[in-house]
Amino acid sequence: MESYIDGILNEKIKKIKEEKNVYNFGTVVKINDYIVEVTGLDNVTFYERINIENKAYGYVSLILKDSVIISILKIDSKIFIGDRAFLTGEEIKTYISKEAIGRVVDIFGNDLLSDKKFDSLTKLKMESKQIPIIDRTQVNRPLYTGIVGIDLIYPIGKGQRQLIIGDKKTGKTQLTLDTIVNQKDKDVICIYTAIGKTKKDIKKIYNELLKRGAMNYTIIIAATNDEKTPVLSLCPYAALSVANMYMKSGFDVLVVLDDLTRHAKAYRELSLLSNKTPGRDAYPSDIFYAHSRLLEKGCQHKNGGSITILPIVETKADDITDYISTNVISITDGQIVMSSKNFQKGEKPAINYQLSVSRLGGNVQTDKIKALGAKVRRELLSYLEVREVYEMANMDDMSESLRKRMSDGKKLLSKLIQYKYSPISEDDIIKLFEEKEDIESNNDINNKEDDSNEN
Amino acid sequence: MVGKIIEISELNVKVLLTDDARIELGDLLYTIYEGVKRRFEVASISEKEALLIPLESVIGLKRGLDLYVDNEGLSIEYSKNILGKMFNSYGDLIDGNVINSIKKKNIYDKNLSFKEININGDIMWTGIKVIDFFAPIQKGFKIGLLGGAGVGKTVLIKELINNIYKKFKSNSVFVGVGERSREGKELYDELKEANLLDKISMVFGQMGDNAISRSKAIYSGLTLSEYLRDELGQDVLLFIDNIYRFVQAKSEISSELKRVPIENGYPTTLISDISEVEERINSTDNGSITSFQAVYIPADDLFDEAVQTISSHLDGQIVLDRSQAEKGLYPAINIFKSTSSLVDIDIIGKNHFDLITEVLKHLTRYNELEEIIAVLGIDELSNEDKLIFYRSRKLRNYFTQPMFVAEAYTNIKGKFVDINDILNDISDILNGKYDDVSEELFLYIGSIKDSNISG
Repeated sequence: MESYIDGILNEKIKKIKEEKNVYNFGTVVKINDYIVEVTGLDNVTFYERINIENKAYGYVSLILKDSVIISILKIDSKIFIGDRAFLTGEEIKTYISKEAIGRVVDIFGNDLLSDKKFDSLTKLKMESKQIPIIDRTQVNRPLYTGIVGIDLIYPIGKGQRQLIIGDKKTGKTQLTLDTIVNQKDKDVICIYTAIGKTKKDIKKIYNELLKRGAMNYTIIIAATNDEKTPVLSLCPYAALSVANMYMKSGFDVLVVLDDLTRHAKAYRELSLLSNKTPGRDAYPSDIFYAHSRLLEKGCQHKNGGSITILPIVETKADDITDYISTNVISITDGQIVMSSKNFQKGEKPAINYQLSVSRLGGNVQTDKIKALGAKVRRELLSYLEVREVYEMANMDDMSESLRKRMSDGKKLLSKLIQYKYSPISEDDIIKLFEEKEDIESNNDINNKEDDSNEN
Repeated sequence: MVGKIIEISELNVKVLLTDDARIELGDLLYTIYEGVKRRFEVASISEKEALLIPLESVIGLKRGLDLYVDNEGLSIEYSKNILGKMFNSYGDLIDGNVINSIKKKNIYDKNLSFKEININGDIMWTGIKVIDFFAPIQKGFKIGLLGGAGVGKTVLIKELINNIYKKFKSNSVFVGVGERSREGKELYDELKEANLLDKISMVFGQMGDNAISRSKAIYSGLTLSEYLRDELGQDVLLFIDNIYRFVQAKSEISSELKRVPIENGYPTTLISDISEVEERINSTDNGSITSFQAVYIPADDLFDEAVQTISSHLDGQIVLDRSQAEKGLYPAINIFKSTSSLVDIDIIGKNHFDLITEVLKHLTRYNELEEIIAVLGIDELSNEDKLIFYRSRKLRNYFTQPMFVAEAYTNIKGKFVDINDILNDISDILNGKYDDVSEELFLYIGSIKDSNISG
């Protein structure tokens, strides 16, 4: 009997000793949702991956004198007080496979379409290093979206960060899908990042892209709604880390982040649960930095590769002046504002041309479209402003030239209406507007005298 | 050795001090782990422990690492060698250059005494109509360019660099705080291409960098400016884009140090933090510093505590407005809120002073009339109001201006306008000289004599 007990004891001691040699381990003492406190783990490093038994893992987000705080990323079965936590000696990483193009994947190297792990995986830093200022060069090559209102008026260049912002159901995601589909045969790798979307939504997007042959050059990286909040919070960084890998080998990459409002909320939840001090709208003080360092990964690298980012932000009641929106606007190189009013009027894509901006403007356009774009934008904005003032005035009492301005403006606006997935090339844009110019130059001569009568 | 690391979080590290450790607030400590040197600044000290803020990432750090004192502290080159160079916030060169004979100075210098400060200076014309008319600038002034996200602060700062620095080639310092790396690099490239780099020195702590870096860039930039003012006796132009980001970075650090915040998460030391920096920007009998400070307005809230505190230090402010930008009127300046302490009948003279009053009167009435028109239409206005309405629209359009640095967006050449022309033009518009001229002809011109308008 005694020898039997001794045997068990020795066995256990041996096991513990072994573990101590191989691992350094600790014990779970507190569980607060997905934030777990562990004592022990003397040799732990910041941001290290920690396994809890065989049932969960996460990363070190805080090292205290006598304990360590772990943010949990994956749980297979419940964690209990007293469970053992093991060091891995390794920084938390994201995994991507070369086979990921054409698939829907998560940030851990799983293929969600087949529900299997990829065979060969590349390990990447969860967040890639910032590109030094001196390694960046001018953003001056166009990235065509196929949408007239964008390519002509508020163009996007390779390496640009252009925000898409608007209320629910105004066509924000559609705009990015149009852009991805338009990259066909253009040697651009696209990464669509779904942050906190439903599985159903993601499947729909996959099917749309598949149907149009766009999955041949696209990876969908998803953190679905039911993932742990830290996963949602890390997902866009992981997506940019993958983009960075491709850019470093000279590729042009387009990254869609859908969407950063959801991301900000996940980040806020994580921060508040980790006892950080809340600031404006209860967001932690570093919410700006969370987005600025993410979007600063977009750039035109001197090696020729580039990362273009289209982040999406959702607004309420068309108000783009709330905290998160203005934060992101102040980071990006411009914004395409979507208007629910235009959407309801059937003016699709429902771009609000008055509030949209491209900070790079003509720098990313070819010469032939640059001159046309500047002219159309000026005319359009001037029309929209005049329309606001004179909308109440009686059309019949207007001077000839003002009436013409109003009808020309209306015509101009109608040329910007476009169905989804029906891209228009640069040459066709020029053709579309050339006609108009002819008519206008004729009228200019006829109306010279009327101008002075306006007032 | 002065101590060992016992706690680690993203933006602070706690140290257990040795018995004989002699350290002060602001001291620089370092540790070397796995061949990498990491630096920390002392933020608070208690009997046995000190809180440090890390200058670099804490990923991979662990408890028990030894800390040593770096006797030099945070310092930056203090010699003629700073011209034409690009530094990071910590005084390291980041443009690939090397300075051989290093002569450094600590970045926390003392403020000037009451006696040393000189407040006299000449008027400095910017060639930008709306600034020279409403908010003229004097040598030695602190000018704020306030605006929400994406209304044109950076473009205006760049135009000022173009109009003042390029024209006069006085020694300048550009400090990039929490702004886009892309823009920093573009400015550097543009100046280099135009052979204008030899009189400017640049410091960058951009938005991809951590809060510590963003909070230090300003001190390094000030040290460079002080060198040019005190050692070379120069009239220095100091461009800061963007001073708000300094406060934002301070909030992040303060929050990580678990200090109690005031409204919107700002640090309790908000006012003293800003005063400490602003009081260093001054002129002496020996040389002057004229500063142009972009101020970001978070969530379009002009009454934000940080914005208000910064603006209390300014001699002049130019406020940019989203509603102007929305109408396509650039620079999108709110003339009612833009002013400077030079707007004084004794300084700018009766003519200029009276014109400002008259223009403001017109445009105030115009705003009221716009509301009436929205309900009743233009026809219901009295003849006198109609005149005010049409002349105000011309004035409003006249205050737009093509910018040299925005040629890529507007496709129009920039214009530098003389103050005498501005005063004449405005007086003529008010007196009805152009009542018969169509309002859109006043959009994006320089002076009237330089346009298509004939009187």
